[in-house]
Amino acid sequence: MSCIFINNSMKKNRPIILLSVALILLVLSFLLNVSLGSVSISPGEILNGIFTGEWAKASREQIILNYRVPKALVAILAGIGLSISGLQMQTFFRNPLAGPFVLGISSGAGLGVAILMLSGSAFGLVAFGGAINPWAIAIAGTLGASLVLVSVSLVAWRVRDSMTLLIVGLMFGSAVSSVISVLSYFSGAEALKLFTIWSMGSLGGLVWDQVWVLILVIMIGIIPVIASVKSYNGMLLGESYAKSMGINPDRLRWLMILSTGLLAGCITAFCGPIAFVGIAVPHVARMIWRTSDHRLLFPATAILGAILLLLCDAVAQLPGSAQTLPINAVTSLVGAPIVISLVLKKNFSKEF
Amino acid sequence: MGKAAVIGKDLSVGYTKGKLKKEILHELNFTLFPGEMTCLLGPNGVGKSTLVKAILGQLKPWSGSVHLSGKEIETYSNEELSKELSVVLTEPFLPGNMTVGQLVAMGRIPHTSWTGKLAEVDLQAVESALEATKITYLKDERLGEISDGQRQKAMIARALAQDGKVMVLDEPTAHLDLVNRFDIMHLLHDISKKQQKAILVVTHDLEIALETADKFWLLTCGLPMISGLPEDLVISGEINQLLPDDRFHFNKDRGRIESTISEFKFDISGPPEMVQWVKNALQKSGVSALDSSIRVVVDPFSIAYKGQIYRSVGEFVEGMKSRGC
Repeated sequence: MSCIFINNSMKKNRPIILLSVALILLVLSFLLNVSLGSVSISPGEILNGIFTGEWAKASREQIILNYRVPKALVAILAGIGLSISGLQMQTFFRNPLAGPFVLGISSGAGLGVAILMLSGSAFGLVAFGGAINPWAIAIAGTLGASLVLVSVSLVAWRVRDSMTLLIVGLMFGSAVSSVISVLSYFSGAEALKLFTIWSMGSLGGLVWDQVWVLILVIMIGIIPVIASVKSYNGMLLGESYAKSMGINPDRLRWLMILSTGLLAGCITAFCGPIAFVGIAVPHVARMIWRTSDHRLLFPATAILGAILLLLCDAVAQLPGSAQTLPINAVTSLVGAPIVISLVLKKNFSKEF
Repeated sequence: MGKAAVIGKDLSVGYTKGKLKKEILHELNFTLFPGEMTCLLGPNGVGKSTLVKAILGQLKPWSGSVHLSGKEIETYSNEELSKELSVVLTEPFLPGNMTVGQLVAMGRIPHTSWTGKLAEVDLQAVESALEATKITYLKDERLGEISDGQRQKAMIARALAQDGKVMVLDEPTAHLDLVNRFDIMHLLHDISKKQQKAILVVTHDLEIALETADKFWLLTCGLPMISGLPEDLVISGEINQLLPDDRFHFNKDRGRIESTISEFKFDISGPPEMVQWVKNALQKSGVSALDSSIRVVVDPFSIAYKGQIYRSVGEFVEGMKSRGC
């Protein structure tokens, strides 16, 4: 009897326990991420330094406070933003393959950055004298993402069917990508290399001001999500059922476009395209928590996304060496096997 | 009769595609009463789903009106409507991860605050919906791991938990086995009586509908909708409107649809409930005419024909075929 009772209470609290475990893991990953790098600094020293302000060496204070902590924060923010965008889109489109980039958001950001970096060289102008300000990149990316988003939204306003919107988004994405290809084809080697590196993604290189902007945008982007948790749950049964339960799918569609546009658009603009996180993390969260309830899934995916990006970034730093790998390559390299193994273990389509 | 839940008055609806206007339903009049289960029957493509959409307020009437609880349906907001009216649709997608309890709890979405947290009232509504559909034992099962029939009952429980006055079900028994079909229709009939709901079921199962429905709405191409007690429609022969051509007709004695082409005259004597099955087998086997009379005996079952005795219908039909009749 007591055994059954314990079992029941375990079952009820399971999601909460899992969330707490995930939070602890998040803190550990953060410390691991900050302590690894070209110079290894122990987590104890970092904690001591952050809380007391006393550092063993001034250079370490520099490394930690102005380089590694912002980078780790960006990893957390990007992980949260991308995976929450992915979850929203997968639920809204009822499509397990939907990700934050299906509405052409990342291609849009890519276009903005490509125009900034490549057009000068493609049209024979020396636009910025080679060195490009990171703020300029972020602004160009945001502009590009918003441009594509607004066009997709105009279409979304005309079509009332989410599947059509998905296809239109994909088409926009490929059209924009081909414009980028044309630009790349005509541009010089130097500019092309810069753009290629941007397109591999990078979490580092952001100054504190930019991190604050990113924090602000992500917080704003998450507001519509919190406001429509119930609607996302209702959407699980499809648009018709959602309507019959008093949910307004059109309103939800706009909120989703706004939120994913802000989250994914801004992250892509600052960090370059980061693949994989948006699609995979929601699935992993669904498998671990075994639930479809978005009140749980949103925090769960956010924490998991942050953990995943922190760990991937730790790997990307190639601990002990001064070199770093592009984050976009690492997320897929590390993430793909994890997801494949999860998928093979469990019945994937049934879980969705 | 002042307590109708849904009243349609001269309702015409259709779809517009560019400049083309296609009217699907022309000036329909109908009434749906609480405490009654109404079955909507009609051939494919006649506009049953269109009518359902109009009742759900998803299609704007071209002319005429639909009133829900005395108020025109267009004046309801989405949220208000969801408290009056719940549906079970044919859409098959369901997240396999969700438990039956969670699914039924979704019916409370119109009643909860923006977070969707269930209050005591909501939990009670979920429990009673599970009880009414007799699936309390399934509460913690996942939707991906239960049978189609159980899932359909869970969908009905969800609609019930939504606690509207009207429930509309679009072919709730499609894809189900025979027992589940009877089970679900009886369940719906029960609910309409016990909870005084107005239930509209779109179905193609004429026989089960005859047994369970309080009212029939017959929708046929180009004719005004016929509504009435199923039995009245049978007696007046109006039920044959469902069968537009002469190939089939509704057999009043046997309560089912039969092929009209029965030019074969067999002279069979014996208890009528057995005679009809022998006749049935003969017609199917293509035996056209027999010169002598057939006698069916009950105990032990045997068929006598021209001095020969057959122990089963199968044996008899084989015998007739080999005679080259």
